Amino acid sequence: MRKILGFSLGFIGFVLPFIFKFEGLSFAGHIGLSIFLLAAMFWLFEPIPIYGTSLLVISLGVLLLSSQGVLYMNSSLPTIDLIPKGNNIYQIPRKALTNKNEIYLINDKKETTPIKVEIVEENESSVIIKAENLSSTKICSNVEHKLVGYKPNSYTEYFYSLANSIIMLFLGGLLLADAATKYNLDKNITRAILKPFGYKPSMITLGLLSVTAIVSAFMSNTAATAMMMTVVLPIIAQLEFDDPFKKAVVLAIPFGANLGGIATPVGTPPNAVVLAALSKQNIFIPFGTWIALALPLVIIMVLFAWWLMLKTFPPKIDKFELKMTGSFDKSSKAITLYVIFVITVLLWTTEALHGISANMVAFFTVTALVITNVVDVKDIRNIPWEVLWLVAGGIAMDIIMRNTGLGNWLVSRVAWTHLGSMGVLTAFALVGIILSTFLSHTVTATILAPLAVGIGVAGNLGEGFSVSLGAVVLGIATSFAMALPISTPPNAIAVSTGLIDTKGMLKVGLPIGIVGIILMLIFAKFYWPLILN
Amino acid sequence: MSKIYILVIEDELEVMDVIVRDLNLFEKFFPIETASNVSEAKRVVEKIYKNKDKVGIFICDHIMPGENGVDYLVELQKDKETSKSRKILLTGQAGLEATIKAINEAGLNNYISKPWKKEELISVVKDNLTEFVINNEENLLKYMSILNASKLAEVARQRIPLKE
Repeated sequence: MRKILGFSLGFIGFVLPFIFKFEGLSFAGHIGLSIFLLAAMFWLFEPIPIYGTSLLVISLGVLLLSSQGVLYMNSSLPTIDLIPKGNNIYQIPRKALTNKNEIYLINDKKETTPIKVEIVEENESSVIIKAENLSSTKICSNVEHKLVGYKPNSYTEYFYSLANSIIMLFLGGLLLADAATKYNLDKNITRAILKPFGYKPSMITLGLLSVTAIVSAFMSNTAATAMMMTVVLPIIAQLEFDDPFKKAVVLAIPFGANLGGIATPVGTPPNAVVLAALSKQNIFIPFGTWIALALPLVIIMVLFAWWLMLKTFPPKIDKFELKMTGSFDKSSKAITLYVIFVITVLLWTTEALHGISANMVAFFTVTALVITNVVDVKDIRNIPWEVLWLVAGGIAMDIIMRNTGLGNWLVSRVAWTHLGSMGVLTAFALVGIILSTFLSHTVTATILAPLAVGIGVAGNLGEGFSVSLGAVVLGIATSFAMALPISTPPNAIAVSTGLIDTKGMLKVGLPIGIVGIILMLIFAKFYWPLILN
Repeated sequence: MSKIYILVIEDELEVMDVIVRDLNLFEKFFPIETASNVSEAKRVVEKIYKNKDKVGIFICDHIMPGENGVDYLVELQKDKETSKSRKILLTGQAGLEATIKAINEAGLNNYISKPWKKEELISVVKDNLTEFVINNEENLLKYMSILNASKLAEVARQRIPLKE
């Protein structure tokens, strides 16, 4: 049912721009809109896997919009020379004039620039116009031609989205996490950090929240949750007593993971998505800067989540021991991994000192893990490549929106300036969290990030707004969506244990979302502008 | 959500009652169904699989009126669906030949001889259900409070999804 609905809506979305002509949008922009509507519907309703939709976006870009694709292969702009009819007076064919009285000048690079002209005289087939200081004598003879206002890019640009620098950063993060799991580093770190939290149930709850947050800042939220569940659940599940403490434990893990993902660029894919969208505008937020932005927010939210959990599920027992056994793997490969891990994290967080981009470091990390045999071919196959494809699809969508002028056109449909900078940020945050409560966080970020960046670039929203600010607000807002079991995979894992129900999850997850958004907006107003210039 | 049944096939009602009472602690996660002979068992199995549910474990007596237990277990092993189920023979009178057949042709997982100890039965059922969910279920977390938790945790850890 959902499948049929998704397919139909996607198809309708794809066809609409071919039927209706939108004022101010080029022919290529219409194609871009077709692809965008199709992708948005497919991402929302998932008639095909979301990473499949991403590949479809790349393919459609190559097929329909690249200079080697079926539409733009061998096509050239119809040009004519201006025929002078006196001082600054020219005769041009009717079709060379838009209904806004503009002509398109063509420069040496085959780029078109619209120029407003005065009409002196017109008849059925030609128009006499007056225009001053023209920089070229060539104009386009048909303003409705598919090349007007659009310069097709090479198909390779779409393929490069699969190897974008942010994809490399994420690849590094994923392989590092993969290796950490292989040598039980994650589990042993958990054991080591949890120890000082002692035996009081309230402290153990805080310990679980913090440890999961720390682990998930460097590995995927889902993997962090699954790991913690397998460590803690056997101890908790076998207990005879029925205590609200059990609920606090199974909630502390996914919520710690969701919040921890915010802390670093590699913590969760939405972070990568917004960073990738920004990088297309040549805006780069260093790894350490992201941490400086996000970590204080994460710490406050973890403490808030802790307080809320203890209030909602006050433990009745006063002592509890989390018995965990195990020891750090001391094989040479494991030790190599520890060294690579520490160096990577150090280099990532100190980018400001040495200037080597975290994206570059991530690729060195991948290389180091492979050449030292810390990971083998099985581990490489274990990387969730489809997550990288998903992000790449977002990047390709971004290329389409920018190149065809679709992004600017969509953004100009709404008078954003009336909202003011805080109004726009609040709108991003609300749309982000509401959509991702029901949809994949990555998909929400993928659909919205190009728009958020576009609004930032296009509209002058005045004091207190910047392109990066808007994108970061959107990206982080998606991570605060954790009210329902369907909101995030970690939540789904928690509910699958049977120890917590939707109602219990909602009681804690909803307030975390609301407080998180408010706090983030306060940060965006007073703190982030100090760091993001 | 599909249910995983424990199916007990036993012709003596008093014995059946004891088995069901012994296994009572599993009931919340693994509903127990009973049958007093093979043809009744077949009807129950058909109904269970028709509802998209499955039988996690067959606990079967050998000597019963009608078809005997071992022959039935062999039949179950030939079926694509029920070949995945764990199979236990709970009997006092299976001869050597029948037992060999059960092991070789029915993939028998355990043999419990009557009379049995409650702890022994529980432990055998627990181990077999643990194996069953590991081989047939994606989500192992929800069984941790009832089955072999450390074994489930170990396997679940190997299955950690890296994706978001």
